[in-house]
Amino acid sequence: MISVKHLTKVYHGHKAVDDVSFEVERGEVVGFLGPNGAGKTTTMRILTGYLAATGGDVKVAGFDVVTESLEVRRRIGYLPESVPLYPDMRVDEYLRFRARIKRLPSRRLRSMVGEVKERCGLQGMGRELIGRLSRGYRQRVGLADALVHDPELLILDEPTLGLDPNQNRQVRDLIGDLANRHTILLCTHILPEVEKTCSRVLIINQGRIVASDTPEQLKLAQATGHRIRVQVKGPASAVENALMTLPHVQSVTVLKDGPWVDARVESAREIDLRSNVFDLVVQEGWLLRELREDNWSLEDVYLNVTGLPNKSGREIQP
Amino acid sequence: MRVFLTLLRREWLAYVYAPSMYWVVVIFLLLMGTSFGMMVHILAEGAATGSVVRMLIGESLFFWLAMLMVVPMITMRQFAEERKLGTVETLLTAPVGDVAIVLAKFSAAWVFFLMLWLPTAAYAWLLARISPESAPIDFSALMTSYIGIAAMGAFFIAIGLLASSLTSNQAVAAVITFAVLCGYFFWGFMPQFGRGVQLQEVGRYTSSLMHMLEFSRGVLDTRPLVFYLSVTLFLLFSTVKVVEAQKWRS
Repeated sequence: MISVKHLTKVYHGHKAVDDVSFEVERGEVVGFLGPNGAGKTTTMRILTGYLAATGGDVKVAGFDVVTESLEVRRRIGYLPESVPLYPDMRVDEYLRFRARIKRLPSRRLRSMVGEVKERCGLQGMGRELIGRLSRGYRQRVGLADALVHDPELLILDEPTLGLDPNQNRQVRDLIGDLANRHTILLCTHILPEVEKTCSRVLIINQGRIVASDTPEQLKLAQATGHRIRVQVKGPASAVENALMTLPHVQSVTVLKDGPWVDARVESAREIDLRSNVFDLVVQEGWLLRELREDNWSLEDVYLNVTGLPNKSGREIQP
Repeated sequence: MRVFLTLLRREWLAYVYAPSMYWVVVIFLLLMGTSFGMMVHILAEGAATGSVVRMLIGESLFFWLAMLMVVPMITMRQFAEERKLGTVETLLTAPVGDVAIVLAKFSAAWVFFLMLWLPTAAYAWLLARISPESAPIDFSALMTSYIGIAAMGAFFIAIGLLASSLTSNQAVAAVITFAVLCGYFFWGFMPQFGRGVQLQEVGRYTSSLMHMLEFSRGVLDTRPLVFYLSVTLFLLFSTVKVVEAQKWRS
C-alpha cells in the first residue's frame, strides 16, 4: 500500500527526513512513532502530497505521490495533527463539502455522511457550528472527514491528542474497528494505544527509521535480558549486594529505598530468577511483598532506540 | 466540474457568512453613494459639462477610491486565511487540482465584486425619478461602464489573489494589493505626464483611468478588454504556480 524508498526531505536547511525506506502492506495497522521533530509529520505530508520530497521514491497504492498525486489523494484519508476545519461551517455542511470534493458519488453522499457521523459519535451534531465545538468534537469531525470517502489508506496524525480518557477509548475502539477495512498509518505518542491497536511499529528518530517490527518482536529484540521486579523489606545495601551475588545476575537497579526496597533485577535472557530470589529472601529472613516478571514495554523500547535515558534509580553491575 | 462548483459554492458562502464582508458592502455603498450625491449636486447647480455616467464613474474620485479599497478587502482572506487556519493542508491533500482551487477562489471573489455593483443600477432609476427632464442617463454608456468595471475588476482581483497566496497574514495581503493597485492607478496618468512618445503610448494602452473614461463615454473598445483578460490569466497562472511551489519549499 505504501512504498517509501530512500526518502529525503531537506527542510529549513537541515534534513528533516534522511534516507528513510519502509513498506506498509494492505490491511496493516502501523504505528508511526518518534519524538517531536523526528520527521513524522514531514513524512506524512509527503505521503499525502502536501509536501514534495527532496529525493527518493514514494508510492501509495502503486501511484507515485508527485506525478500521480490526484490518484494518491483519492485513496487517502488524512487527519493532520492540528485538525484544521472551517469555523464558519456547520458539521453536516462541512462533511458534505469534503465528501463532494473527494469525489464521493452523489447517491452515496447522504448515507456515507450519516455513517461516518455515527461511527465518530457525531449524531445530532449536524447543525452545530464548527467554530463552537470543543476540542474533542473537532477531533471527531476531522476523523469523520478522513473517513467520509471510504479511503483505502488512513493517515492519522495524533488522532487522540487533546481527548479525555473516555473519548480516547472511543477513538481507539474506532481505530480497531477501522483496521478491518482500511490500511492505517497511525502516528501517536500514546504507546499503550499502539500496543493495543497496531500490528507493526515504525520508530523514527532524527529523520531515520531506527526500528520496524511487531511490538512483540521489538520488545524481544531490544530486551537485553529477563527482568524481574522485587520488593523486599530489609537493609538496602544488604539487599542489593545479596541480589548481586545470585548466579546469572547482570544488573540490579534500586528504584526505591526505604523500609521496602524496590529493585529491578536483570539476568540473561532465558533465565528466570524468581525462585532464586524467593529462596534468598527466605534464607535471609527478610519480608517479601512483590515478586513479578517485569517485561520490556514498548515504552522501554521506544526510549532505548530514540536514545533517551531510561534510568531511574541507581544501577549497579557486577 | 462538480468539484469546481462545490469549491465555488464554499468560497461564495465564506463571503456570505463573514461579518467583515458586510462592512465591505457598507464602505462600498458609502463611497458610490457619495459619488452619486456629488453628481446630483453638480446637475442641480446646472454646472454639468460631461455625460452623467462619466461624472458617476470615470471621473469620480470616489469611484476610484471604491475600486482601490474594496478589492484588497475582498481578496485578502482567500489563501491567507486558509494558511492561518491550516485548512490549506486538508484542501491541498483532497483530490482537487490546484487550478480548480485557484479558479474557484477567483470566481467567488469576482462574483462578490460584481454583486457589489448591482445596487448602483438603481442610481439610473433614481435619477430618472428625481428629474425626468434634465440630462437623461445614457444606458449604453452605463452598460459599457459595467463591462469595463467587470474586466478591470477581474484584473484587480487576480492581483489580490496572488498577493494573498504569498502570505498567511491577511493584513499583509491587503496592504500589498492596495499598494500595487495604487501604483497601477497612478501609472494611468502616464499618457499626460510621461516623457517620451513610447512611454505615453504604452501608458495609453495600459492606463485604467483612460480605459474607464472611454468606457463611461459608451465606447466599447476591445483592446483594453483583451489587455485585462490576458493579464488576469497571467496572474491566475502565477497564483497556481505559487500554490504549487509551496509544496517544494525547503
